[in-house]
Order: sequence, then structure tokens, then C-alpha cells
Amino acid sequence: MFIHLFNGLVYGALLIVMCAGLALIYGLRRVVNFAHGALYMLGAYLGYTIASQTSFWVALVAVPAVMAVLGALLDRFGLRLLQDRDPLAVVLVTFGLLLIVEDFVQTAWGKGNLSVPVPALLNTSVDLFATAVPAYRIAVIAVGAAVAIGLSLWLRHSKLGLFVRASSTDPTTTAMQGVNTDALSAGVVGLGTALAGLAGVVAAPFLALSPSMSSDVLIDSFVVVVIGGLGSLAGAFAAAVVLGLIQALGAVYLPDAAALLPFALMVAVLLWKPAGLAGSRT
Amino acid sequence: MSLVKLFACTALALAAGGAVASGLGSATVLSLLTQATVYAIFALGVGLLLRQNAMVSFGHAAFFGAAGYVVGILLQLQAVPAEAAILIAVGGVTLFAFLLGLVVVRVPGIAFGMLTLAVGQMFFLTASRSRGLTGGADGMNVDWPSTLFGIELSALLRPGPLFVLCWSVLVLTLLALALLLRTRFGAITEAIRDNEERARFIGIETLLPRAAVFALSACVASIGGVLSTLNTGFVSPETLHWSVSGVALMMVVVGGTRALWGPALGAIVYFLVKDLLGDHANHWMAIFGAGLIVVIVFAPEGLSGALQRLAAAWRRAGAAGHPLPLTERLP
Repeated sequence: MFIHLFNGLVYGALLIVMCAGLALIYGLRRVVNFAHGALYMLGAYLGYTIASQTSFWVALVAVPAVMAVLGALLDRFGLRLLQDRDPLAVVLVTFGLLLIVEDFVQTAWGKGNLSVPVPALLNTSVDLFATAVPAYRIAVIAVGAAVAIGLSLWLRHSKLGLFVRASSTDPTTTAMQGVNTDALSAGVVGLGTALAGLAGVVAAPFLALSPSMSSDVLIDSFVVVVIGGLGSLAGAFAAAVVLGLIQALGAVYLPDAAALLPFALMVAVLLWKPAGLAGSRT
Repeated sequence: MSLVKLFACTALALAAGGAVASGLGSATVLSLLTQATVYAIFALGVGLLLRQNAMVSFGHAAFFGAAGYVVGILLQLQAVPAEAAILIAVGGVTLFAFLLGLVVVRVPGIAFGMLTLAVGQMFFLTASRSRGLTGGADGMNVDWPSTLFGIELSALLRPGPLFVLCWSVLVLTLLALALLLRTRFGAITEAIRDNEERARFIGIETLLPRAAVFALSACVASIGGVLSTLNTGFVSPETLHWSVSGVALMMVVVGGTRALWGPALGAIVYFLVKDLLGDHANHWMAIFGAGLIVVIVFAPEGLSGALQRLAAAWRRAGAAGHPLPLTERLP
């Protein structure tokens, strides 16, 4: 029982890192980034290459840095130019981007499964409640918790965080107060993309790298942000943990229906609250 | 468009289909066109939802594929004749979509797209993991009987007749939709699409019409799904996959939704371009992804919108007796 709950938390932590990026980008640009899963996949494959050339730890730092630059460019030369367009049109642009990135990854790294070894430092197991659990998975949970707590503190207690919150509530008024909202958006989209890359690197040692990894995690992330309420970080964090636990427990106790549980949960939540648990905005 | 003109266009389109089938000798080209026509019907369904409801579905492959599965399962069980199986498949998918629609159309904006993506993927996972009857991830063969609606199937399944059948279904579906959208139902759904709140204020009940449009679009997609299994004799989880919904959406965007027939045009363009790409088709995802972005950024109304603008400018120029300067003719 404990080990299943634990594995659920691990997947929940990964979803937290993914959904934090999705929610940040949605908050500033009002765009649901369909390419987020593809960027996560790109991060994982870049991490594979860097880790095999140097070490996992270099990849852990380098990949988010590269992805942050990519994200800032995406904002500057994509989302910013399209900010006055119908949000649905912009979503379709990110869908086109998804196709391009997926094709690039398949061309560059092939369609076979690849795997990244667990870094030596964390390749041990730790006894927790009389169960041996891999140390690496504990580290994944720690990363998820660090992202959740770090982002919450940053948004609540820093000046930049205040600007981000203000800009996602009302970009025009925020700009009139003298905040450079375009630069802010570029930074935040960069941060969100870096988080997708971070999720990819962190996931690589415990999930196999394959061309389907992108859509799997994208769909789970969508379920999470819809349940949590679009643009709400707290809602997404809670929903990510719940979804991770439900999937892990479902796989053991209801193996036939496990794949359907997240969707059933989502339909139930939406029947009850169409805007999601914490959502008020559309 | 007047009724006379509408029926004339329909007759013309039906005749054109027959002419293409008898004029084109190449079976390869005909089967390509058949496939394009099947997807044109599917895209028509997806486009209808965007046109009448301003909603983007990323999960309509579920209805497209589910109709094929229902037919396949019913024929395998030999529970009902094939004709009834087709009606049950289309009717069942439509009814299911209506009930689902009552839930999902209440979800605002882009969350709706994400929701349909998730529901569609639920169908995909169910089909690919189920054992026995549906053959799981391998898919299942559909055992069509030797006659369908009194026609010998061996005669129907030759490239020419099959194309004429699919094309006629496409044209008649377009006619039916055009007639339906001329009624009060069309006006109500457009009012709700443009401003749901105001529509409610003037006393229109908004949930049922929106769910009905959702069901109607699923109905059209399921007709495409049935024709697809007739064309290939096979149904697999791949037809339910979200990437199929994505391709349909791409056709809708490329074709544009200002004209009802826009998505169908998009589907035909899609297949012709894919065929022309030939050896580069390995990279079709990147090519179509880039194409999608270009169309959205530079021609948001799609091909049909551009064509309609050109036609309107042409008529104005003709009426005025002299051609307009180019700057006025183009958007």
C-alpha cells in the first residue's frame, strides 16, 4: 500500500512541475500551450544527450537553461505577435508547434525507446516505513515540492511575483502602472518552458524516452489543470497530487479501469464545478 | 443562397462526382480521392462545431472511430443486419454525443478543447487495452455481408462506385446541413455562438441547442467513420487517437469555416498535398505543423474564406462594369 502511494506521489510531483509551467503561461498569455508536452519531450531527449556526453547533473542545469531561452524566443516571436488574436487561433498555433517539435525529436533521436541511467549519487534505496524505496524517486518528490513551494513564495512575496500576479489579472492596467509586461511575459513563458524541460530531465531516469511520452504527459497535465481550474497554481498542485495517487492506486486495485479513472474524476469535477476546483476565470 | 441555387449546386456537385469517377482511369487516384472524401465528411463535423458553436474539439476522432467499432462489433456478433448496424452506429454515437454534450458544452472556452481531448483519449485507451472482441491494439476486421441496401458489395467496393458513394454522401450531408441551418435552429445557434449571455436575455434556452450542435457534429463525424470502415474493411484504435482529431482540425483550419464546405475543401487539399509530398511524407508532421501556423497567421479565414472574398470582389467588379484596383479586391 505504502509503495503505491509513494509512486503516486512521484508521478504527482512530475505533474506539478509540468502544470506549473502550463498555468504560468496561461496566466500571462491566456494560451493553453499544446506544445508543452512536446517541449517536455524535447527536454528529456536533450537531457539524454547531455547526460550521456557529460553527466546527469550537467543536464539538470543545462537543459532548463536552454529551454528557458527557447521559451523566451517563443514568446517574443510567437505569442507576443499573436496576443490580439482569437485565443483559439493561438492554441492552434501551439498545436502546429507541437507537430514540428515532435517531428524534430523523432528525426534527431529516432523512434526507439531510450533510457537514462539513474545518477550514481542517488542510485541507492532508502528504508521508509519499513519499505525500501529508490532514493531517486524521493529526489523527484523533493523537486516537485521545491517547485510548488518556491513558485508560491516567489509569486506571493517578491516584487516580480506581484507584477506577474497583477499582469495575469489585468495586463493593460499593469502596463499603465509602468510594468514592462512584454518583458515580463517573455520571462514567465521562458520560466514555464524551463519547467517543462526540467520535468523532462527529471522524468528521464524513471520513465522511458519514447515518441509517445509527449502526449501521455500532456493529456494528464490537461486533466490536472482542468480539474484544478485553469490558471490556478494552487488548484493545479492539489489536482496533480490527487491524480498521481489515483493513477497509482487504480493501477493496483482496479487494473481494468485504471486508465479511465482520471477522466472519470475530471467529468465528475466538471459536473460539480464547470470552472474547476479553484477556477473562476475562463 | 436561394433554395433553387442550393439544389442546383447540389445536383452539379453530384454530377461532378460521377464525371470524376468515370473520367479518371487511375484506381490509385480514385482511392486517394475516396479517402479524402471520407475525411472531408469527418472534417465537416468538426468544422460544424466550430462554425455554429465556436468550439474547438480535439477529440472528435472518438466519434469517427466509435462508429466504426459499433458497426464492426455488431457485424461480428451477427446480431443485426448490416443496414441496421449502420443506423445503430450513427444513431448511437449521436445520442451518446448529445448526453456528453449536455455536460461538456458547459465548460467554457479552451477548457472545452482540453476536455474533449481527454474524453477522446479515454476512448483510445479503452479500445487499445480491451481484449477479445475488438482485438485490442491490433484492431479488428469488419465483416461486411455480400449485399448492402440491396447492392452487391463486390460491385460497390470497386474504386469508381465507392468514390461516387462517398462523394454523394458528402454532398447530401452538406445539403442537409445547409437546409437545417436555414431554419430557426441555425439562427438560434448562431445567436448563442455570438453572445450566449444576450441570447439568454432574449429568452433562448442555450444549453440544449449547444448540445444539439455537438451531437450533430458527432453525427456527421460518425457517418465518415462508417464510410471509412466500408472503405478499409478494418477499424483500429489508431482511428480514435487524438492525432486523428488533430488532423481533422487542421483540415478545418486550412479550409476555413466561413463557408459550410470549407472543411471538406481543407480535407481534399490535405490529402492532395500529402500525396504530392511523396518521399518527404516522413516529415509530414513538421510540414503540416508549419503550414497550419502559416494559414492561421496569414489567412485566418482559410481557403474558403479567401475564395469567397475573391468571388465577392469579382462580382462587385462585374457589377460596376470596371475592375476594382487590386488593393480593394484583396482583404
